[in-house]
Amino acid sequence: MGLVARRIEEAGIPTVTLDMIWVYQNLIGMPRVAAIEHPFGRPYGDVGDAETQEAVLRAALHLFETAQTPGTVEHLPFRWHEDPKQTKWHPAEPSPIIALIQKRRKQ
Amino acid sequence: MTRVDPWRFAGAFIAKALGSQIPETPTHPPIPWTPVSKPLAESKVALLSTAGLSMKGDVPFDMEGERKRPTWGDPSWRRLSADATSETIEANHLHIDTGYIERDLNVALPLERLRALAAADVIGSVAPSHYSIMGYQGRDASVLESRSGPEIAAAMKSEEVDLALLAPV
Repeated sequence: MGLVARRIEEAGIPTVTLDMIWVYQNLIGMPRVAAIEHPFGRPYGDVGDAETQEAVLRAALHLFETAQTPGTVEHLPFRWHEDPKQTKWHPAEPSPIIALIQKRRKQ
Repeated sequence: MTRVDPWRFAGAFIAKALGSQIPETPTHPPIPWTPVSKPLAESKVALLSTAGLSMKGDVPFDMEGERKRPTWGDPSWRRLSADATSETIEANHLHIDTGYIERDLNVALPLERLRALAAADVIGSVAPSHYSIMGYQGRDASVLESRSGPEIAAAMKSEEVDLALLAPV
């Protein structure tokens, strides 16, 4: 996604990337990053939680107004409502690459 | 000061697998920059998600190809309409539970929330089109970078989008 952010920015449209794994910034170099500590699959908030979804959206958009330097990373102050152990985000079956790695480890 | 823990939900296996790819200090090329040219309240905003979203009836992202070739991920992109909802889209992504998106699109592509911000004059307007890619690209992100990225940018330009908000899943 960060690569796409760079292409869009190069084309003349400012971008913000709302990112859980914001440390990818070191590898990719995104113009503006809003770091969020939410589980994979639900970056803006949980199902039906319109209040959090709007607050995260507003916070990410706010970065367009405040960021002055290429590569700005802003850590957003949101706390997920469940403990990681209670938070389900995995697919029902492992992704093909994970299944392949696990198979190779067993061999 | 908040500092986001990027691995809080990942689990040890994924944290190690992904973390080992990421350098501790920046190695990226110079970062492109386009200054914001107008106030947020006057800006047309487009959203982009990596959730593998497509409008029902459109060609879905290719999951069978990835099942056959686990080191490959579909590098194409889809256009989504501004009134898309959980009922009118499908999500194809083998690395997350897409059930949440299928119940409430706003968890990954908050179009309802964006419309509310336009109605409240927080943003100028909602772009006619929004976009999705499929985040897993396996070993080779070059097609995404060299073809889909510029095509999405051109589509946004043709609709005079002022700001693009991207969210990986």
